[in-house]
Amino acid sequence: MVRDIENIQHSFSTENDGNISKKQTFLTYGEQDKFAYYLLKLVASLVIILLLGMIAMLLNSSLSAIEEFGIGFALNDNWNPVEDEFGALAFLFGTLVTSALAILIAAPLSISVAVFINEILPTKLGKLISLFVEMIAAIPSIVFGLWGIFFLGPFVKDVLTPFLKSNFGFLPLFQGASFGIGILTASIILAIMITPTITSICREVLKTVPKIQKEAALALGATRFEMIKIALIKPSFSGLTGGVVLGLGRALGETMAVAMVIGNSPTITASLFSPAATMASVIANEYAEADSDLHLSAMCYIGLLLFLVTFIVNSFARAIVWKKQRKARG
Amino acid sequence: MSSDIILQVNNLNVWYEDFHAVKGITVGYPEKSISAIIGPSGCGKSTFLRCLNRIYEEVPGAKATGEIILEGKNILDKSVDPVELRRRIGMVFQKPNPFPAMSILDNVTIGLRLQGIKDKSYLMNIAEQCLRKAALWDEVKDKLHKLGTSLSGGQQQRLCIARALAVNPPVLLMDEPTSALDPIASAKIEDLMSELKKEFTVIVVTHNMQQAARIADYTSFFVLGDLIEHGLSSDIFTNPKQQKTEDYITGRFG
Repeated sequence: MVRDIENIQHSFSTENDGNISKKQTFLTYGEQDKFAYYLLKLVASLVIILLLGMIAMLLNSSLSAIEEFGIGFALNDNWNPVEDEFGALAFLFGTLVTSALAILIAAPLSISVAVFINEILPTKLGKLISLFVEMIAAIPSIVFGLWGIFFLGPFVKDVLTPFLKSNFGFLPLFQGASFGIGILTASIILAIMITPTITSICREVLKTVPKIQKEAALALGATRFEMIKIALIKPSFSGLTGGVVLGLGRALGETMAVAMVIGNSPTITASLFSPAATMASVIANEYAEADSDLHLSAMCYIGLLLFLVTFIVNSFARAIVWKKQRKARG
Repeated sequence: MSSDIILQVNNLNVWYEDFHAVKGITVGYPEKSISAIIGPSGCGKSTFLRCLNRIYEEVPGAKATGEIILEGKNILDKSVDPVELRRRIGMVFQKPNPFPAMSILDNVTIGLRLQGIKDKSYLMNIAEQCLRKAALWDEVKDKLHKLGTSLSGGQQQRLCIARALAVNPPVLLMDEPTSALDPIASAKIEDLMSELKKEFTVIVVTHNMQQAARIADYTSFFVLGDLIEHGLSSDIFTNPKQQKTEDYITGRFG
Protein backbone atom coordinates (compact mmCIF):
# COMPACT_ATOMS: atom_id res chain seq x y z
CA MET A 1 0.00 0.00 0.00
CA VAL A 2 2.67 2.47 1.04
CA ARG A 3 4.82 1.32 -1.89
CA ASP A 4 1.94 1.94 -4.26
CA ILE A 5 1.59 5.48 -3.07
CA GLU A 6 5.31 6.00 -3.44
CA ASN A 7 5.21 4.64 -6.96
CA ILE A 8 2.31 6.88 -7.88
CA GLN A 9 4.04 9.88 -6.41
CA HIS A 10 7.20 8.91 -8.24
CA SER A 11 5.47 8.61 -11.60
CA PHE A 12 3.77 11.92 -11.02
CA SER A 13 6.95 13.67 -10.17
CA THR A 14 8.81 12.33 -13.22
CA GLU A 15 5.98 13.50 -15.43
CA ASN A 16 6.16 16.89 -13.86
CA ASP A 17 9.93 17.02 -14.22
CA GLY A 18 9.57 16.77 -17.97
CA ASN A 19 8.51 20.10 -19.32
CA ILE A 20 4.72 20.26 -19.67
CA SER A 21 4.89 22.53 -22.66
CA LYS A 22 6.81 19.82 -24.50
CA LYS A 23 3.64 17.76 -24.68
CA GLN A 24 2.20 19.45 -27.70
CA THR A 25 -1.39 18.63 -28.59
CA PHE A 26 -3.29 19.73 -31.66
CA LEU A 27 -5.88 21.50 -29.51
CA THR A 28 -5.77 22.66 -25.93
CA TYR A 29 -8.07 20.84 -23.54
CA GLY A 30 -10.46 23.75 -23.49
CA GLU A 31 -10.59 23.75 -27.28
CA GLN A 32 -11.19 20.00 -27.30
CA ASP A 33 -14.20 20.47 -25.04
CA LYS A 34 -15.50 23.22 -27.25
CA PHE A 35 -15.01 21.08 -30.34
CA ALA A 36 -16.93 18.19 -28.76
CA TYR A 37 -19.66 20.58 -27.70
CA TYR A 38 -20.19 21.97 -31.19
CA LEU A 39 -19.99 18.52 -32.76
CA LEU A 40 -22.73 17.20 -30.46
CA LYS A 41 -24.79 20.31 -31.00
CA LEU A 42 -24.53 19.85 -34.76
CA VAL A 43 -25.53 16.18 -34.68
CA ALA A 44 -28.39 16.85 -32.29
CA SER A 45 -29.65 19.72 -34.43
CA LEU A 46 -29.65 17.40 -37.45
CA VAL A 47 -32.47 15.40 -35.89
CA ILE A 48 -34.59 18.51 -35.46
CA ILE A 49 -33.72 19.70 -38.97
CA LEU A 50 -34.76 16.29 -40.29
CA LEU A 51 -38.12 16.55 -38.53
CA LEU A 52 -38.75 20.07 -39.78
CA GLY A 53 -37.63 19.02 -43.27
CA MET A 54 -40.15 16.20 -43.32
CA ILE A 55 -42.95 18.51 -42.27
CA ALA A 56 -41.91 21.01 -44.93
CA MET A 57 -41.81 18.31 -47.59
CA LEU A 58 -45.27 17.03 -46.62
CA LEU A 59 -46.67 20.55 -46.59
CA ASN A 60 -45.12 21.31 -49.95
CA SER A 61 -46.45 18.23 -51.71
CA SER A 62 -49.92 18.56 -50.21
CA LEU A 63 -50.11 22.24 -51.06
CA SER A 64 -52.41 21.84 -54.07
CA ALA A 65 -54.83 19.67 -52.06
CA ILE A 66 -54.78 22.17 -49.20
CA GLU A 67 -55.57 24.97 -51.66
CA GLU A 68 -58.35 22.92 -53.21
CA PHE A 69 -60.07 21.56 -50.09
CA GLY A 70 -58.79 23.61 -47.17
CA ILE A 71 -59.47 22.49 -43.59
CA GLY A 72 -62.76 20.95 -44.72
CA PHE A 73 -60.68 18.08 -46.12
CA ALA A 74 -60.57 16.49 -42.66
CA LEU A 75 -64.32 16.85 -42.16
CA ASN A 76 -65.52 15.56 -45.51
CA ASP A 77 -66.09 11.84 -45.92
CA ASN A 78 -66.40 11.80 -49.70
CA TRP A 79 -63.41 10.02 -51.26
CA ASN A 80 -63.86 9.66 -54.99
CA PRO A 81 -60.63 9.59 -57.00
CA VAL A 82 -62.50 9.18 -60.30
CA GLU A 83 -64.20 12.54 -59.86
CA ASP A 84 -61.15 14.07 -58.16
CA GLU A 85 -63.15 14.62 -54.98
CA PHE A 86 -61.27 14.00 -51.81
CA GLY A 87 -62.11 14.08 -48.11
CA ALA A 88 -60.24 12.32 -45.31
CA LEU A 89 -62.88 11.95 -42.60
CA ALA A 90 -63.47 8.24 -43.25
CA PHE A 91 -59.75 7.51 -42.89
CA LEU A 92 -59.44 9.66 -39.82
CA PHE A 93 -62.34 7.71 -38.37
CA GLY A 94 -60.79 4.35 -39.32
CA THR A 95 -57.43 5.23 -37.80
CA LEU A 96 -58.84 6.54 -34.54
CA VAL A 97 -61.35 3.73 -34.06
CA THR A 98 -58.97 0.87 -34.83
CA SER A 99 -56.24 2.37 -32.63
CA ALA A 100 -58.59 3.09 -29.75
CA LEU A 101 -60.01 -0.40 -29.88
CA ALA A 102 -56.52 -1.87 -30.11
CA ILE A 103 -55.45 0.07 -27.00
CA LEU A 104 -58.60 -1.01 -25.20
CA ILE A 105 -57.64 -4.63 -25.83
CA ALA A 106 -53.86 -4.32 -25.51
CA ALA A 107 -53.43 -2.06 -22.45
CA PRO A 108 -55.09 -4.30 -19.83
CA LEU A 109 -53.60 -7.36 -21.49
CA SER A 110 -50.06 -5.97 -21.53
CA ILE A 111 -50.16 -4.64 -17.99
CA SER A 112 -51.50 -7.98 -16.74
CA VAL A 113 -48.80 -9.87 -18.61
CA ALA A 114 -46.12 -7.54 -17.22
CA VAL A 115 -47.38 -7.99 -13.64
CA PHE A 116 -47.69 -11.73 -14.13
CA ILE A 117 -44.15 -12.10 -15.47
CA ASN A 118 -42.58 -9.82 -12.85
CA GLU A 119 -44.50 -10.75 -9.74
CA ILE A 120 -46.08 -14.18 -10.07
CA LEU A 121 -43.78 -16.31 -12.22
CA PRO A 122 -40.48 -17.65 -10.87
CA THR A 123 -37.61 -15.56 -12.26
CA LYS A 124 -36.33 -18.09 -14.79
CA LEU A 125 -39.71 -18.96 -16.22
CA GLY A 126 -40.56 -15.26 -16.32
CA LYS A 127 -37.49 -14.55 -18.44
CA LEU A 128 -38.44 -17.31 -20.84
CA ILE A 129 -42.01 -16.11 -21.19
CA SER A 130 -40.95 -12.51 -21.68
CA LEU A 131 -38.59 -13.67 -24.42
CA PHE A 132 -41.56 -15.17 -26.24
CA VAL A 133 -43.63 -12.04 -25.75
CA GLU A 134 -40.82 -9.88 -27.10
CA MET A 135 -40.44 -12.16 -30.09
CA ILE A 136 -43.93 -11.10 -31.18
CA ALA A 137 -42.45 -7.66 -31.76
CA ALA A 138 -39.96 -9.16 -34.21
CA ILE A 139 -42.64 -10.67 -36.47
CA PRO A 140 -42.79 -8.63 -39.68
CA SER A 141 -45.94 -6.65 -40.25
CA ILE A 142 -46.68 -8.45 -43.51
CA VAL A 143 -46.63 -11.83 -41.74
CA PHE A 144 -49.20 -10.50 -39.30
CA GLY A 145 -51.24 -9.45 -42.35
CA LEU A 146 -51.07 -12.95 -43.84
CA TRP A 147 -52.02 -14.49 -40.52
CA GLY A 148 -54.88 -12.03 -40.33
CA ILE A 149 -56.19 -12.98 -43.75
CA PHE A 150 -55.86 -16.74 -43.38
CA PHE A 151 -56.59 -17.27 -39.71
CA LEU A 152 -57.89 -14.28 -37.80
CA GLY A 153 -60.36 -13.15 -40.50
CA PRO A 154 -62.16 -16.52 -40.68
CA PHE A 155 -61.98 -16.80 -36.89
CA VAL A 156 -63.66 -13.42 -36.44
CA LYS A 157 -66.25 -14.32 -39.04
CA ASP A 158 -67.10 -17.82 -37.82
CA VAL A 159 -66.53 -17.68 -34.05
CA LEU A 160 -66.25 -14.16 -32.68
CA THR A 161 -69.04 -12.55 -34.69
CA PRO A 162 -71.75 -15.09 -33.81
CA PHE A 163 -70.69 -14.88 -30.16
CA LEU A 164 -70.77 -11.08 -30.04
CA LYS A 165 -74.02 -10.94 -31.98
CA SER A 166 -75.83 -13.37 -29.72
CA ASN A 167 -74.63 -11.69 -26.52
CA PHE A 168 -74.31 -8.00 -27.39
CA GLY A 169 -76.32 -7.88 -30.60
CA PHE A 170 -78.52 -5.09 -29.25
CA LEU A 171 -75.58 -2.66 -29.53
CA PRO A 172 -75.14 -0.98 -32.92
CA LEU A 173 -71.44 -1.88 -32.61
CA PHE A 174 -72.20 -5.53 -33.18
CA GLN A 175 -74.79 -5.41 -35.92
CA GLY A 176 -74.56 -6.08 -39.63
CA ALA A 177 -72.86 -8.73 -41.70
CA SER A 178 -69.29 -9.81 -41.04
CA PHE A 179 -66.94 -10.80 -43.86
CA GLY A 180 -64.04 -11.49 -41.56
CA ILE A 181 -62.22 -8.40 -42.72
CA GLY A 182 -63.01 -5.08 -41.11
CA ILE A 183 -62.48 -2.85 -38.11
CA LEU A 184 -62.61 -5.61 -35.49
CA THR A 185 -60.08 -7.84 -37.24
CA ALA A 186 -57.73 -4.91 -37.82
CA SER A 187 -58.01 -3.84 -34.19
CA ILE A 188 -57.23 -7.32 -32.91
CA ILE A 189 -54.16 -7.54 -35.15
CA LEU A 190 -53.04 -4.12 -33.97
CA ALA A 191 -53.59 -5.11 -30.34
CA ILE A 192 -51.39 -8.18 -30.78
CA MET A 193 -48.72 -6.16 -32.53
CA ILE A 194 -48.46 -3.50 -29.82
CA THR A 195 -48.74 -5.86 -26.84
CA PRO A 196 -45.01 -6.73 -26.70
CA THR A 197 -44.03 -3.04 -26.83
CA ILE A 198 -46.35 -2.09 -24.00
CA THR A 199 -45.50 -5.21 -22.00
CA SER A 200 -41.76 -4.66 -22.03
CA ILE A 201 -42.05 -0.98 -21.11
CA CYS A 202 -44.49 -1.82 -18.31
CA ARG A 203 -42.13 -4.50 -17.03
CA GLU A 204 -39.28 -2.00 -16.85
CA VAL A 205 -41.54 0.50 -15.09
CA LEU A 206 -42.73 -2.08 -12.55
CA LYS A 207 -39.16 -3.21 -11.93
CA THR A 208 -38.27 0.25 -10.63
CA VAL A 209 -40.63 -0.14 -7.66
CA PRO A 210 -38.36 -0.89 -4.69
CA LYS A 211 -38.80 -4.23 -2.94
CA ILE A 212 -39.32 -2.37 0.31
CA GLN A 213 -42.56 -0.85 -1.03
CA LYS A 214 -43.97 -4.27 -1.80
CA GLU A 215 -42.93 -5.54 1.64
CA ALA A 216 -44.58 -2.51 3.24
CA ALA A 217 -47.88 -3.51 1.66
CA LEU A 218 -47.51 -7.19 2.58
CA ALA A 219 -46.52 -6.34 6.14
CA LEU A 220 -49.79 -4.43 6.52
CA GLY A 221 -51.75 -7.55 5.71
CA ALA A 222 -52.29 -6.95 2.02
CA THR A 223 -52.92 -9.97 -0.15
CA ARG A 224 -50.68 -10.41 -3.17
CA PHE A 225 -53.31 -8.88 -5.39
CA GLU A 226 -53.80 -5.89 -3.08
CA MET A 227 -50.04 -5.45 -2.89
CA ILE A 228 -49.90 -5.31 -6.70
CA LYS A 229 -52.65 -2.72 -6.69
CA ILE A 230 -51.42 -0.34 -3.99
CA ALA A 231 -47.65 -0.75 -4.06
CA LEU A 232 -47.05 -1.53 -7.72
CA ILE A 233 -49.68 -0.21 -10.13
CA LYS A 234 -50.68 2.95 -8.25
CA PRO A 235 -47.24 4.54 -7.97
CA SER A 236 -46.32 3.43 -11.50
CA PHE A 237 -49.36 4.98 -13.15
CA SER A 238 -47.53 7.60 -15.18
CA GLY A 239 -44.90 5.15 -16.34
CA LEU A 240 -47.52 2.62 -17.38
CA THR A 241 -49.42 5.33 -19.26
CA GLY A 242 -46.20 6.21 -21.04
CA GLY A 243 -45.92 2.60 -22.20
CA VAL A 244 -49.50 2.59 -23.43
CA VAL A 245 -48.94 5.85 -25.32
CA LEU A 246 -45.94 4.41 -27.10
CA GLY A 247 -48.10 1.47 -28.11
CA LEU A 248 -50.78 3.86 -29.31
CA GLY A 249 -48.23 5.70 -31.42
CA ARG A 250 -47.33 2.46 -33.10
CA ALA A 251 -50.97 1.52 -33.64
CA LEU A 252 -51.81 4.84 -35.28
CA GLY A 253 -49.11 4.51 -37.89
CA GLU A 254 -49.19 0.76 -38.49
CA THR A 255 -49.80 0.20 -42.19
CA MET A 256 -49.18 -3.14 -43.82
CA ALA A 257 -51.04 -5.58 -41.60
CA VAL A 258 -53.97 -3.21 -41.28
CA ALA A 259 -54.16 -2.58 -45.01
CA MET A 260 -54.40 -6.35 -45.53
CA VAL A 261 -57.30 -7.01 -43.16
CA ILE A 262 -59.34 -3.84 -42.86
CA GLY A 263 -61.14 -4.14 -46.19
CA ASN A 264 -60.15 -0.72 -47.53
CA SER A 265 -63.53 0.84 -47.89
CA PRO A 266 -63.74 4.56 -47.06
CA THR A 267 -66.96 4.33 -45.10
CA ILE A 268 -68.04 5.39 -41.64
CA THR A 269 -70.30 2.92 -39.87
CA ALA A 270 -71.14 2.07 -36.30
CA SER A 271 -70.63 -1.65 -36.87
CA LEU A 272 -67.22 -3.05 -35.92
CA PHE A 273 -67.76 -5.87 -38.42
CA SER A 274 -67.85 -3.64 -41.47
CA PRO A 275 -64.79 -2.87 -43.57
CA ALA A 276 -63.12 0.52 -43.27
CA ALA A 277 -59.82 2.18 -44.14
CA THR A 278 -57.16 3.98 -42.14
CA MET A 279 -55.03 6.93 -43.15
CA ALA A 280 -51.96 4.76 -43.43
CA SER A 281 -53.73 1.99 -45.31
CA VAL A 282 -55.19 4.28 -47.97
CA ILE A 283 -51.80 5.80 -48.71
CA ALA A 284 -50.26 2.36 -49.03
CA ASN A 285 -53.07 1.06 -51.23
CA GLU A 286 -53.58 3.96 -53.59
CA TYR A 287 -50.25 5.66 -53.91
CA ALA A 288 -48.98 3.45 -56.72
CA GLU A 289 -52.15 3.83 -58.76
CA ALA A 290 -52.75 7.54 -58.25
CA ASP A 291 -52.72 9.16 -61.66
CA SER A 292 -53.98 12.68 -61.04
CA ASP A 293 -51.74 15.19 -59.31
CA LEU A 294 -54.56 16.18 -57.00
CA HIS A 295 -54.97 12.54 -55.90
CA LEU A 296 -51.27 12.36 -55.02
CA SER A 297 -51.43 15.66 -53.25
CA ALA A 298 -54.52 14.60 -51.33
CA MET A 299 -52.62 11.57 -50.09
CA CYS A 300 -49.74 13.72 -48.92
CA TYR A 301 -52.36 15.81 -47.14
CA ILE A 302 -53.56 12.63 -45.42
CA GLY A 303 -49.96 11.91 -44.43
CA LEU A 304 -49.75 15.38 -42.95
CA LEU A 305 -52.98 14.80 -41.05
CA LEU A 306 -51.72 11.47 -39.73
CA PHE A 307 -48.60 13.24 -38.54
CA LEU A 308 -50.78 15.81 -36.80
CA VAL A 309 -53.02 13.16 -35.22
CA THR A 310 -50.09 11.22 -33.76
CA PHE A 311 -48.66 14.49 -32.50
CA ILE A 312 -51.93 15.49 -30.83
CA VAL A 313 -52.57 12.06 -29.33
CA ASN A 314 -49.06 11.97 -27.92
CA SER A 315 -49.29 15.46 -26.46
CA PHE A 316 -52.67 14.66 -24.99
CA ALA A 317 -51.39 11.51 -23.31
CA ARG A 318 -48.32 13.34 -22.04
CA ALA A 319 -50.57 16.03 -20.61
CA ILE A 320 -52.48 13.36 -18.67
CA VAL A 321 -49.25 12.03 -17.26
CA TRP A 322 -48.01 15.49 -16.29
CA LYS A 323 -51.27 16.40 -14.70
CA LYS A 324 -51.26 13.19 -12.70
CA GLN A 325 -47.68 13.77 -11.62
CA ARG A 326 -48.34 17.36 -10.60
CA LYS A 327 -51.43 16.31 -8.68
CA ALA A 328 -49.40 13.60 -6.99
CA ARG A 329 -46.79 16.17 -5.94
CA GLY A 330 -49.57 18.13 -4.31
CA MET B 1 -44.17 -4.21 32.32
CA SER B 2 -46.07 -7.45 32.68
CA SER B 3 -44.32 -10.73 32.39
CA ASP B 4 -46.94 -12.59 30.37
CA ILE B 5 -45.27 -14.00 27.31
CA ILE B 6 -47.08 -12.84 24.19
CA LEU B 7 -44.76 -14.33 21.60
CA GLN B 8 -42.86 -17.55 22.27
CA VAL B 9 -40.27 -18.76 19.79
CA ASN B 10 -39.22 -22.41 20.10
CA ASN B 11 -36.26 -23.92 18.28
CA LEU B 12 -36.56 -21.68 15.22
CA ASN B 13 -34.32 -22.59 12.28
CA VAL B 14 -34.16 -20.71 8.99
CA TRP B 15 -32.45 -21.72 5.80
CA TYR B 16 -31.87 -19.76 2.62
CA GLU B 17 -31.38 -22.63 0.18
CA ASP B 18 -28.43 -24.39 1.90
CA PHE B 19 -27.40 -21.50 4.13
CA HIS B 20 -28.39 -22.00 7.74
CA ALA B 21 -29.16 -18.41 8.75
CA VAL B 22 -30.91 -18.86 12.09
CA LYS B 23 -29.97 -21.81 14.28
CA GLY B 24 -32.37 -23.24 16.81
CA ILE B 25 -33.46 -20.04 18.58
CA THR B 26 -35.69 -20.30 21.64
CA VAL B 27 -36.82 -17.08 23.23
CA GLY B 28 -39.98 -15.56 24.72
CA TYR B 29 -41.19 -11.97 24.47
CA PRO B 30 -43.16 -10.53 27.41
CA GLU B 31 -46.20 -8.43 26.70
CA LYS B 32 -45.89 -4.62 26.63
CA SER B 33 -42.13 -4.48 26.68
CA ILE B 34 -39.38 -3.52 24.29
CA SER B 35 -37.01 -6.28 23.32
CA ALA B 36 -33.92 -5.51 21.30
CA ILE B 37 -31.95 -7.86 19.09
CA ILE B 38 -28.32 -6.91 18.67
CA GLY B 39 -25.38 -8.55 16.98
CA PRO B 40 -22.79 -8.07 14.25
CA SER B 41 -23.80 -7.86 10.57
CA GLY B 42 -24.94 -11.13 9.05
CA CYS B 43 -25.85 -12.65 12.41
CA GLY B 44 -29.39 -13.46 11.29
CA LYS B 45 -31.13 -10.85 13.42
CA SER B 46 -33.14 -9.37 10.55
CA THR B 47 -33.97 -12.83 9.24
CA PHE B 48 -35.18 -13.81 12.70
CA LEU B 49 -37.37 -10.71 12.89
CA ARG B 50 -38.75 -11.33 9.40
CA CYS B 51 -39.89 -14.78 10.50
CA LEU B 52 -42.11 -13.31 13.17
CA ASN B 53 -44.54 -11.95 10.58
CA ARG B 54 -43.57 -14.52 7.95
CA ILE B 55 -42.40 -11.91 5.48
CA TYR B 56 -39.23 -14.02 5.07
CA GLU B 57 -41.37 -16.10 2.71
CA GLU B 58 -40.94 -13.38 0.08
CA VAL B 59 -37.35 -14.53 -0.42
CA PRO B 60 -37.36 -17.47 -2.85
CA GLY B 61 -35.79 -20.55 -1.28
CA ALA B 62 -36.27 -19.44 2.33
CA LYS B 63 -37.50 -22.10 4.75
CA ALA B 64 -38.25 -21.99 8.46
CA THR B 65 -38.82 -24.79 10.97
CA GLY B 66 -39.75 -24.70 14.64
CA GLU B 67 -42.50 -22.90 16.47
CA ILE B 68 -43.53 -19.28 16.91
CA ILE B 69 -46.51 -19.22 19.26
CA LEU B 70 -48.82 -16.20 19.16
CA GLU B 71 -52.11 -16.43 21.04
CA GLY B 72 -51.78 -20.20 21.37
CA LYS B 73 -51.18 -20.88 17.69
CA ASN B 74 -48.00 -21.76 15.84
CA ILE B 75 -47.88 -19.03 13.21
CA LEU B 76 -45.41 -20.98 11.08
CA ASP B 77 -48.12 -23.58 10.56
CA LYS B 78 -49.39 -23.74 7.00
CA SER B 79 -52.96 -23.33 8.24
CA VAL B 80 -52.19 -19.81 9.46
CA ASP B 81 -52.90 -17.24 6.77
CA PRO B 82 -49.93 -14.83 6.56
CA VAL B 83 -52.35 -12.04 5.59
CA GLU B 84 -54.26 -12.51 8.86
CA LEU B 85 -51.02 -12.83 10.81
CA ARG B 86 -49.59 -9.58 9.47
CA ARG B 87 -52.63 -7.74 10.73
CA ARG B 88 -51.70 -8.94 14.23
CA ILE B 89 -47.97 -8.28 13.91
CA GLY B 90 -47.02 -4.93 12.41
CA MET B 91 -43.66 -4.06 10.93
CA VAL B 92 -41.54 -0.96 10.47
CA PHE B 93 -38.63 -1.18 8.07
CA GLN B 94 -35.07 0.05 7.97
CA LYS B 95 -35.74 2.70 5.34
CA PRO B 96 -38.90 4.81 5.64
CA ASN B 97 -41.25 3.44 2.98
CA PRO B 98 -44.52 5.37 2.81
CA PHE B 99 -46.49 4.59 -0.34
CA PRO B 100 -45.32 7.20 -2.82
CA ALA B 101 -48.62 7.77 -4.62
CA MET B 102 -50.61 8.24 -1.41
CA SER B 103 -51.33 11.19 0.83
CA ILE B 104 -50.30 11.20 4.48
CA LEU B 105 -53.86 10.37 5.47
CA ASP B 106 -54.17 7.55 2.94
CA ASN B 107 -50.87 6.10 4.10
CA VAL B 108 -52.10 5.86 7.68
CA THR B 109 -55.50 4.41 6.81
CA ILE B 110 -54.42 1.98 4.09
CA GLY B 111 -54.20 -0.94 6.52
CA LEU B 112 -57.79 -0.41 7.65
CA ARG B 113 -59.01 0.19 4.11
CA LEU B 114 -57.41 -3.11 3.11
CA GLN B 115 -59.63 -4.70 5.74
CA GLY B 116 -62.65 -3.20 4.00
CA ILE B 117 -63.35 -0.28 6.33
CA LYS B 118 -64.75 2.62 4.32
CA ASP B 119 -66.39 4.88 6.93
CA LYS B 120 -64.59 8.22 6.37
CA SER B 121 -65.10 9.70 9.83
CA TYR B 122 -63.99 6.47 11.52
CA LEU B 123 -60.86 6.36 9.35
CA MET B 124 -60.14 10.02 10.08
CA ASN B 125 -60.56 9.38 13.78
CA ILE B 126 -58.14 6.43 13.75
CA ALA B 127 -55.68 8.37 11.59
CA GLU B 128 -55.61 11.19 14.13
CA GLN B 129 -55.16 8.78 17.04
CA CYS B 130 -52.33 6.93 15.32
CA LEU B 131 -50.58 10.07 14.16
CA ARG B 132 -50.77 11.34 17.73
CA LYS B 133 -49.36 8.07 19.04
CA ALA B 134 -46.58 8.39 16.48
CA ALA B 135 -45.93 11.97 17.68
CA LEU B 136 -46.53 13.28 14.19
CA TRP B 137 -50.01 14.81 14.41
CA ASP B 138 -48.95 18.36 15.23
CA GLU B 139 -46.49 18.40 12.35
CA VAL B 140 -48.87 17.11 9.67
CA LYS B 141 -52.40 18.01 10.77
CA ASP B 142 -52.57 20.89 8.28
CA LYS B 143 -51.30 18.91 5.33
CA LEU B 144 -52.91 15.50 5.61
CA HIS B 145 -53.63 15.46 1.90
CA LYS B 146 -50.03 16.08 0.86
CA LEU B 147 -47.94 13.16 -0.28
CA GLY B 148 -46.39 11.00 2.41
CA THR B 149 -43.09 11.20 0.58
CA SER B 150 -43.06 15.01 0.90
CA LEU B 151 -42.11 14.65 4.59
CA SER B 152 -38.57 14.53 5.98
CA GLY B 153 -36.94 11.14 6.58
CA GLY B 154 -37.68 11.13 10.31
CA GLN B 155 -41.27 12.21 9.74
CA GLN B 156 -41.68 9.54 7.07
CA GLN B 157 -40.47 6.90 9.51
CA ARG B 158 -42.97 8.09 12.13
CA LEU B 159 -45.64 8.03 9.42
CA CYS B 160 -44.71 4.40 8.78
CA ILE B 161 -45.04 3.70 12.49
CA ALA B 162 -48.48 5.35 12.50
CA ARG B 163 -49.41 3.26 9.47
CA ALA B 164 -48.41 0.08 11.28
CA LEU B 165 -50.30 1.13 14.44
CA ALA B 166 -53.52 1.83 12.57
CA VAL B 167 -54.51 -1.83 12.44
CA ASN B 168 -53.83 -2.02 16.18
CA PRO B 169 -51.43 -5.00 16.20
CA PRO B 170 -50.46 -6.33 19.62
CA VAL B 171 -46.89 -6.84 18.41
CA LEU B 172 -44.78 -4.35 16.47
CA LEU B 173 -41.58 -5.41 14.74
CA MET B 174 -38.95 -2.82 13.92
CA ASP B 175 -36.02 -3.61 11.66
CA GLU B 176 -33.32 -1.03 12.43
CA PRO B 177 -35.89 1.77 12.38
CA THR B 178 -33.37 4.56 13.00
CA SER B 179 -30.41 3.45 10.91
CA ALA B 180 -31.36 5.74 8.01
CA LEU B 181 -32.05 8.74 10.24
CA ASP B 182 -30.01 11.53 11.80
CA PRO B 183 -29.46 11.57 15.61
CA ILE B 184 -32.30 14.01 16.35
CA ALA B 185 -34.85 12.08 14.31
CA SER B 186 -33.55 8.87 15.90
CA ALA B 187 -34.01 10.28 19.39
CA LYS B 188 -37.62 11.14 18.55
CA ILE B 189 -38.25 7.58 17.38
CA GLU B 190 -36.65 6.22 20.56
CA ASP B 191 -38.89 8.39 22.73
CA LEU B 192 -41.83 7.22 20.69
CA MET B 193 -40.91 3.57 21.20
CA SER B 194 -40.82 4.04 24.95
CA GLU B 195 -44.34 5.48 24.71
CA LEU B 196 -45.51 2.65 22.49
CA LYS B 197 -44.63 -0.08 24.94
CA LYS B 198 -47.51 1.05 27.15
CA GLU B 199 -49.84 -0.46 24.58
CA PHE B 200 -47.77 -2.64 22.30
CA THR B 201 -45.07 -5.23 22.45
CA VAL B 202 -42.11 -3.93 20.47
CA ILE B 203 -39.34 -6.12 19.09
CA VAL B 204 -36.56 -4.08 17.55
CA VAL B 205 -33.45 -5.07 15.63
CA THR B 206 -30.70 -2.53 16.06
CA HIS B 207 -27.12 -2.01 15.10
CA ASN B 208 -26.76 0.49 17.84
CA MET B 209 -25.95 -1.03 21.22
CA GLN B 210 -26.44 2.26 23.07
CA GLN B 211 -29.92 2.39 21.62
CA ALA B 212 -30.69 -1.08 22.91
CA ALA B 213 -29.30 -0.17 26.32
CA ARG B 214 -31.37 3.03 26.41
CA ILE B 215 -34.77 1.74 25.39
CA ALA B 216 -34.98 -2.04 25.61
CA ASP B 217 -36.23 -3.97 28.62
CA TYR B 218 -34.82 -7.18 27.20
CA THR B 219 -31.93 -7.75 24.85
CA SER B 220 -30.91 -10.75 22.78
CA PHE B 221 -27.42 -11.06 21.40
CA PHE B 222 -27.02 -12.99 18.15
CA VAL B 223 -23.84 -14.20 16.46
CA LEU B 224 -23.88 -16.10 13.16
CA GLY B 225 -27.43 -17.34 13.65
CA ASP B 226 -26.95 -18.44 17.25
CA LEU B 227 -28.59 -16.79 20.22
CA ILE B 228 -25.65 -16.22 22.53
CA GLU B 229 -27.49 -14.57 25.36
CA HIS B 230 -30.95 -13.26 26.16
CA GLY B 231 -32.03 -11.44 29.26
CA LEU B 232 -32.84 -8.14 30.92
CA SER B 233 -30.97 -5.34 29.19
CA SER B 234 -29.61 -4.23 32.52
CA ASP B 235 -27.97 -7.62 32.96
CA ILE B 236 -26.74 -7.97 29.40
CA PHE B 237 -25.07 -4.58 29.34
CA THR B 238 -23.66 -4.51 32.83
CA ASN B 239 -23.14 -8.10 33.76
CA PRO B 240 -23.09 -10.39 30.71
CA LYS B 241 -22.81 -14.09 31.42
CA GLN B 242 -21.09 -14.99 28.17
CA GLN B 243 -17.57 -13.96 27.22
CA LYS B 244 -18.69 -13.24 23.60
CA THR B 245 -21.38 -10.84 24.78
CA GLU B 246 -18.91 -9.00 26.93
CA ASP B 247 -16.43 -8.79 24.05
CA TYR B 248 -19.12 -7.43 21.76
CA ILE B 249 -20.57 -4.81 24.07
CA THR B 250 -17.16 -3.61 25.08
CA GLY B 251 -16.22 -3.27 21.43
CA ARG B 252 -13.57 -5.97 21.28
CA PHE B 253 -15.37 -7.86 18.57
CA GLY B 254 -17.99 -7.28 15.89
